[in-house]
Amino acid sequence: MKKIHLVAIVMIAVAIGLLTTASGDMSTYSNFSEAIESGEKVKIAGQLAKDKEMYYDPEVDPNYFSFYVEDAEGLQKKVVLNAAKPQDFELSEQIVLTGMMKGEEFMASDMLMKCPSKYKDEEIYVKSQEGSL
Amino acid sequence: MNEIQYIGEHLLPGILGNFFIKFGFVASLLAALSYFFAVKKQNQPDFESWRKIGRLSFLLHGISVFIVIGAIFYAMMNKYYEYQYVWAHVSEELPLKYILSAFWEGQEGSFLLWMFWHVILGVIILLKGKQWEAPVLAVLAIIQAFIFSMILGIYIGDFKLGSSPLLLLREIPDWMELPLFNNADYVSLIKGNGLNPLLQNYWMTIHPPTLFLGFASTSIPFCYAIAGLWTGQHKEMAKTVLSWALFSGAILGTGILMGGVWAYEALTFGGYWAWDPVENMSLVPWIVLVAGIHTNLIAKSTNYSYKTTYIFYILTFLLILYSTFLTRSGVLGESSVHAFTEMGLEWQLVSFIGFFLLLSIILYFSKQKSIPVPKDEEATPSKEFWMFIGSLVLLFSAAMITASTSLPVYNKIMDFFNPGFEGLTITEPIEHFNKYQLWIGVFIGLISGSTQFLRYKEFNWKGHSKKFINHLIISAVGALILTILCSLWIEFVAWQYWLLLFAGSFAIVSNLDYLISFAKGNLKQAASVISHVGFGIMILGVMASGLNKQHISTNPAVQAGLLEGEMLEKNVMLFKGMPMFMSGYEVTYQRDTFINKERYFNVNYKKLGKEGEITEEFNVTPSALYDNKGMKVAAYNPSTKHYLHKDIFTHIPTIPLREADVMEAQKFEDTLTYERYDLIIDKPLEIKDTLQSRLGPQLVSTKTTLIGINKNPEHPDYEPQKGDLAIGVKLAFQKEDTTFYAEPVMVIRDQLLYNYPVQMNDLSMKVRLTEEAINAVYTPEETLDYQSFILKNGDFIFLNGNRIEFKGFDKNAKHPNYQKEEEDIAIGSIFEVSNEAGQRFNATPLYLIRGRSPFNFKDEIYELGLHFRFVSIDPNTESIEVMIAQKEKTKVIPIDLSKRSFRTDYIILETIVFPGINLVWLGSIMMMLGLGIGMYIRRKQNKVMAA
Repeated sequence: MKKIHLVAIVMIAVAIGLLTTASGDMSTYSNFSEAIESGEKVKIAGQLAKDKEMYYDPEVDPNYFSFYVEDAEGLQKKVVLNAAKPQDFELSEQIVLTGMMKGEEFMASDMLMKCPSKYKDEEIYVKSQEGSL
Repeated sequence: MNEIQYIGEHLLPGILGNFFIKFGFVASLLAALSYFFAVKKQNQPDFESWRKIGRLSFLLHGISVFIVIGAIFYAMMNKYYEYQYVWAHVSEELPLKYILSAFWEGQEGSFLLWMFWHVILGVIILLKGKQWEAPVLAVLAIIQAFIFSMILGIYIGDFKLGSSPLLLLREIPDWMELPLFNNADYVSLIKGNGLNPLLQNYWMTIHPPTLFLGFASTSIPFCYAIAGLWTGQHKEMAKTVLSWALFSGAILGTGILMGGVWAYEALTFGGYWAWDPVENMSLVPWIVLVAGIHTNLIAKSTNYSYKTTYIFYILTFLLILYSTFLTRSGVLGESSVHAFTEMGLEWQLVSFIGFFLLLSIILYFSKQKSIPVPKDEEATPSKEFWMFIGSLVLLFSAAMITASTSLPVYNKIMDFFNPGFEGLTITEPIEHFNKYQLWIGVFIGLISGSTQFLRYKEFNWKGHSKKFINHLIISAVGALILTILCSLWIEFVAWQYWLLLFAGSFAIVSNLDYLISFAKGNLKQAASVISHVGFGIMILGVMASGLNKQHISTNPAVQAGLLEGEMLEKNVMLFKGMPMFMSGYEVTYQRDTFINKERYFNVNYKKLGKEGEITEEFNVTPSALYDNKGMKVAAYNPSTKHYLHKDIFTHIPTIPLREADVMEAQKFEDTLTYERYDLIIDKPLEIKDTLQSRLGPQLVSTKTTLIGINKNPEHPDYEPQKGDLAIGVKLAFQKEDTTFYAEPVMVIRDQLLYNYPVQMNDLSMKVRLTEEAINAVYTPEETLDYQSFILKNGDFIFLNGNRIEFKGFDKNAKHPNYQKEEEDIAIGSIFEVSNEAGQRFNATPLYLIRGRSPFNFKDEIYELGLHFRFVSIDPNTESIEVMIAQKEKTKVIPIDLSKRSFRTDYIILETIVFPGINLVWLGSIMMMLGLGIGMYIRRKQNKVMAA
């Protein structure tokens, strides 16, 4: 089955080649200071700074939503997302942003939120307080 | 601590269910063991008895699965919230039709669904499997034992084996200490969480059972593969397994496709495939299975590729297990939107995979030598060679997708060995996957087309080559024409897409050519043609809808100069009743309606011709789904206008916070400041206000006029009932040249006040009535000073200058507050009143005897402030007693007005056009249909051969 072996070898070679180029699509999670330095598109995992202002006023612009995110290093930056404010955004535990810095603001092209799961840490819903007798 | 005797718990389903989980687990182990010995003792006297025990225990395990499912259902239907699973997935409000969805929403339920299908498929093999029954069911029974172990819920020391779906809330380790469970009657205090509103649709009813049947059906080729290696009946295996593999391919594919349609129809990301890890890992086994079907075909026709067929079928099942691990272990974490929540079963899932991986490897290598391999290499221009290459390309695709999707697993492993390892992630997953899978599409398109013209076991290439080349050229030319035609319709951004489009077109044209010139309509060949043409059509559809999807909802005025590149504006704001022009359409948000907990927004699209005539018009109703308590929007559902050649997808990303959340509306209402204005009929009042605008403070003046009082008012939220005391105050607000009308309403019902304010969007004002207004209209009884009069027919009296005459009885008198009952005796007395100015008025108070007790209903002449009560009647003298009071009306009606109540009657709208989306569905359905037809034909053939 020499032919087949040849084909297999070619395929494995192509696979290695592709995976090498594919590694260019991958990156470690970045942070704001790296994003400022590089000026390139990065992926940042962070948390919503809940004490800071969250702005969404569709009457002014339905495609402008801004909020503050604290990255793993503890740096807080204003993030601008050109989309409507997602449902239950306030509840998000972790936010993964894709985008780049523009001046002092991080312009996000994509955002993924992780909300607390439906049951984790949830208290049993009790109809009245009598249960705690 | 003393044991608490809990009351109100229903322990039976739990006891029953938990018993049968353990029983079923043991029965499946026994089935595996007995069938194992049955295989060992094949053709020996013991065989029959081992098979008998195997059958019996397999059936018992099946019955156990049904009983466990039944017990959970029973607890769910009856809403026994003391069970954690019931509490987590069911609620009072959940309609019965979603009980099924609630059942498989959780991990445990979906494990049971998976087992359920294994039982069904297993019984079919038990009945029809013949010599395969024992070895196949032995393997299937082990699989069942493994899945059972996931729901066992047994603690061995600190180690948890499975998590029982019939656990009581108070048995959950972390919750045991909750003070709630010190209350013996805790059951009456809890209520369920209910099904996630996002999942309350029919997709959730049909998608999981289909997908899990797909999952379960991949076990069968796997079991056959293991059985084939085990018994050494390789050729028979390849013959028998094929129809099962085709069945599995059709069902699993349909399940995945349904997921895509669900995402497209009901979710809001605007697409059908997002390369989400969970999607990927259900696609990958399907791709490998399809590769296995192709090598299986080769093996059947030529004796080549037995080994790869084994490997592919085994791999398919192992990938299903891997996919189960990824979605259920929590390892995907932030990279997937729809992974299950963690259940702490990671190691159990890993050993599930590990066991079958080891079993397969050991078995394969120990039996490898017995697998037939033809001596000669296959001919290069033969069908089997190129089909094999095609299968390798599919495997390659599967490997690429799996590698990228497994990045979180890689991170976890690296982190284990090297704590502090910085996890890798794919920056742009969709681009990443598209970039590589595009080439797979090109290869598959070209190979699937040209290979059709080749022949199995080619021994006379010289005689065939001319025909082959001719058809290749015909197909290439046809594909080129199709490509050019499509390019008139689809816009291309990169040259690679041309290639892919050509490959797709080539698959279509060449397969059709094959059907006509080679297969000549033969149904068996037609099955493969349908699938391959479907693949080509799907490629065209994916490109048309993906590359040329376009947002209608852009408003050039807003976005001018604000943004660039990829951050295109996607949403516009649309006020109710105010048309807006976007991308050639006049779009109007017309109205919204509540049906149950879903709020539908009617949006109208119009396309106008040159003359202003309507050339295209349609309505869509995207909706907002409120949570189970009806307090807050939980999800938004899109709505799509389907055309044959395109879809127009409309979705509402958000509505104003005050509309979306009752609490927010209340909070806002509490912050509104109202000012009191006293109005007199027909006397306009000027209300002045200073507004901040871009041009600085501006003085705004609104002229407010009280037009009249309405005692039968109408208000969208008010439903009149008998006995209501209602007023509406008609108001006119004139601002500049425009007059706006409003009628706030207030109602007294059963001594409670109900307020129905009016929001005036164009004025940003809100107006409401107060109790004082109702008192000004309906004089409270306690403030009246009644005088009593005895009158006969025709008698008259003077009161404060008004002449009041008793004009006799009305036996059919009506009264707004009087509701007639049988055996009532009701009489009205007619009074005619003329005032000093000579104006005449009438009043008809009512006297009623109901059940021997006298009642009366008053009447009032509003203009004169006269109140009448007809209190008794003397039949002997034919005289009546009437009480009359007069009180001067206050002319002043107070209203409360807020001048800072901004409008909330708008929606945010996103509209996307997907051209050619139907080609995606058509193509995918054809692929599954081809697999299905293939299965059908082969089953028929096997029967004929067996007969």
